[in-house]
Amino acid sequence: MTTGNIKSTTDIRLPLSFIVFGIVAFVVAQIIIFWNSTSILQGHFRIPGIWSAAHLLLLGFAMIVAMGAMYQLVPVVFLASICRQKLAYFPLLFSCSGVVIFVVLLAISPAQSIYGAVMVVIGICMFLLQMVITLRQTEKKSIMYAFVKTALVMLFLTIAAGFLLAYSFATKGIPFHESIFYTHILFGVAGWFSLLIFGFSYKLVPMFSLSHDYPTHYGKYAICSYSMGLLFVSVSFWIQIAYVQVIGFLLLAIGFTLFTYNMYIIYRNRLKRKLDKAFVFSLFAILLGNVIHIIAVILVVIDLQSVFHWGILLFSYIMCWIIFSILGYLYKIVPFLWWTKQYADNIGKEKVPTLKEMINEKLAVILFVILTISVVVLIGSLLAQIGVGVWIAQGVMMIVSMVYALSMILVLFK
Amino acid sequence: MDREVIEEALYEVIDPELAINIVDLGLVYDIQIAESNDVFIKMTLTTPGCPMHDSIVNGVKNRLLQIDEIENVTVELVWEPVWNPSQMSLEAKKQLFG
Repeated sequence: MTTGNIKSTTDIRLPLSFIVFGIVAFVVAQIIIFWNSTSILQGHFRIPGIWSAAHLLLLGFAMIVAMGAMYQLVPVVFLASICRQKLAYFPLLFSCSGVVIFVVLLAISPAQSIYGAVMVVIGICMFLLQMVITLRQTEKKSIMYAFVKTALVMLFLTIAAGFLLAYSFATKGIPFHESIFYTHILFGVAGWFSLLIFGFSYKLVPMFSLSHDYPTHYGKYAICSYSMGLLFVSVSFWIQIAYVQVIGFLLLAIGFTLFTYNMYIIYRNRLKRKLDKAFVFSLFAILLGNVIHIIAVILVVIDLQSVFHWGILLFSYIMCWIIFSILGYLYKIVPFLWWTKQYADNIGKEKVPTLKEMINEKLAVILFVILTISVVVLIGSLLAQIGVGVWIAQGVMMIVSMVYALSMILVLFK
Repeated sequence: MDREVIEEALYEVIDPELAINIVDLGLVYDIQIAESNDVFIKMTLTTPGCPMHDSIVNGVKNRLLQIDEIENVTVELVWEPVWNPSQMSLEAKKQLFG
């Protein structure tokens, strides 16, 4: 008989602190992007304001939220207690304060940004070490384990490349600056974030849809294909051979499609007919991510060299796949965390609210629909060079992000 | 101590994610009552590694300890046999299938 005696003893305040910081960073990033709308329209992505906003979005929001979510999810998914959990407040302190210093310095004095980067790197390394030690307790090495472990390797390579990049900015002494830059983006965005979302989706999608008796073997092919794709594309940044890049992007797209197909099978086997709207939004993000991967293959096959168009594709990938996934899941995770803090001890003693009663689902639908429309308008306006469209769409996204943050904060008063 | 009293109490322990009680969900596998009125519950969850793990187990203990005659409750969480939808009551199926 298999018994479940490992307790998920994560101190709820820990993941919640990461997530609250992340949500604030998300709003501030949207404000900075809105402020720099004109530069984006002119194809000026590599300017201090955009660097600052991009890092605030990816490091301050996506990365910090992912760290918080991992402190919550790893114990329950892998039945492993976080190793020396109280020490996790150090990664929180270093990462969050480091992100603030880093993005401020990127905006006002990029050459000094190494100081902020060092703090972020220290924080992330502490997190990495804690996760690697924690994951060693895992007895059952599932497909989730493979994805999360590979994602952590990618995170390590991302920060190594990022640190090299920051050092290069400060000293101007590192050759192959462009190659390091593209590798940093690839491993961070497609490697770390995508593989992490893939991994946890194998837990969250069946759990939120109450799906049973589904195969996961497509996941094995997905991780092989996607990892090989990452390898090929990264190599193509260092040796300029066109077909290596084509093979790499093709492998990435095949890997993503296999993952999508596996998620579709899980969705098809669900028992819960009426799914929570925020969760549906996260599923929608998978479809968008898959489409973007296919577009990337087309662009690389036709040998499109335009930095502007690749920049828009990268923005679409970050926004429509990574950010949408996280925003959807947060609508489930934040109420759960707060419910656990407020009501877990009272269950069975008195009437406690259900998780659904903790959130405003109608507002979620409105926010996600507006967000999707504004992202589509923003991308369309960028491609068509319609300044007013960019300005309006980014303005709406900024307002949506504020209302989203407010709706999350309101959960904390229930 | 009647088994029915315990079952009745367990109907009031609600899975906060699904908003359905644990008995209708078919999560309770066994109820044993000792002569001393100590209660042993063998139960499962809809998915291994459910984040509600501790909350639901504590919910069972909290609810049963509200019954005057019961002083000790032991809850054993098992993953075998694996929970499957056929264990749900008609009421629970109606709620889930919409």
